[in-house]
Amino acid sequence: MRTIKFILILVAFAAAPALAQESYLYFSWDYTQPLTNKSWISGGTARGAKAGVRKFIGQERRFSAGVDFNWNYLQEYKPTETVQTSTGAFTTDYFNNIASIALVASGQYYFPLGNKEHFFPYAGLGMGANRNRYSQSYNIYQDSETKYGFLVRPEAGILVRLGGRRRWGAMAAVHYDYSTNKNATYDYNSYSAVGFQLGVMIWQW
Amino acid sequence: MKKYLVIIACVALVTWSCKPEDDAQRLLDQFVVSTTYDNTAHFSGYATYSMSTDTIGFISNKSNDTIKTQRDIDYPRPVLQKVEQNLNEKGYTRVAKNQNPDLRINVYVINDFNIYQSVSYNNYYYPSYYGYGYGYGGGYYGYPNVSTYSTNTGSLVVEILDLRNITPDNKVKVLWSAYMGDVYSSINLVQQSQDAIDQAFIQSPYIGK
Repeated sequence: MRTIKFILILVAFAAAPALAQESYLYFSWDYTQPLTNKSWISGGTARGAKAGVRKFIGQERRFSAGVDFNWNYLQEYKPTETVQTSTGAFTTDYFNNIASIALVASGQYYFPLGNKEHFFPYAGLGMGANRNRYSQSYNIYQDSETKYGFLVRPEAGILVRLGGRRRWGAMAAVHYDYSTNKNATYDYNSYSAVGFQLGVMIWQW
Repeated sequence: MKKYLVIIACVALVTWSCKPEDDAQRLLDQFVVSTTYDNTAHFSGYATYSMSTDTIGFISNKSNDTIKTQRDIDYPRPVLQKVEQNLNEKGYTRVAKNQNPDLRINVYVINDFNIYQSVSYNNYYYPSYYGYGYGYGGGYYGYPNVSTYSTNTGSLVVEILDLRNITPDNKVKVLWSAYMGDVYSSINLVQQSQDAIDQAFIQSPYIGK
């Protein structure tokens, strides 16, 4: 949680100069569904959020660049199972957990639509770092490992300005995350997930 | 008004998206059962065993007690009876200690009590008018906050010892051991202990005549 607060403050500071220009700041709820390593965690999670700041480039507002930060907590209960080893066996039920955070630099292209004042459909690509904390909780015990990876995130979405003069708007997007993040201990290879986000934004122009 | 609603929604979202706690009730209603064995041992070659009836060992770093008897707590007897039942079902015969048994069964609880202290400092910033070199941005570490917390964990242990092959220097080999816990966070201690003992024997099919 401390890491998330720190990065949010960092993003807010990064946002300050950008907001002085044509830009927008957003904060959204983020639903994530893992696409690989489903034997570890197969279900999606609604416990996630995404925030960022993006600055428009050029008078036409066709391109923007910015910084995105997101966090997600994935968790799945595994019923009691027995694992046999060469010297014995181990029986327990447990939770598999992944606490994932990512910080990426991203660029967006906005497709012209209507009067270019209210709706801004876009496609974008982000690249950055991803940190996953993998943990297994059983009874009162917990094992965990933290791993880092390089993350690539194609994204498509739409920004909606709620009124011509209003600063508040809404956004919806879908993104695919692929990260080189892997964990040999838990036999977890290359984190990848699809996410759906819905949120609010503040325009600055 | 709308602005405040959006801010409230954002705060609610941050709170909701925080790390979920594990469902403790779900995890604590059964013990973790870990068994290890000597894979050179031939468990079918043994026939008899001895064990106590109403006393189990107690190893602790906070108490001088070395045993727990049925008089102290209603725990040793049901646990020992469950161990005996499983061994009998595996085909072994319980005998008295003086009847030269092949195996000795040890049952004990390990209690690990730890106290931790952490110290954190609030970082105070003095405004420049103090004039002692502490300008804005100068930091001073104030009184420490000391947090104290403790953990109390414990495992129920069952061991099978080889009395038939005691070494000349009186060392006894442990053929099998089962660690089950955590006994201090259990919801139903006796029942969970008995279930764990059953599980320990189930996951050790090599034990038996």
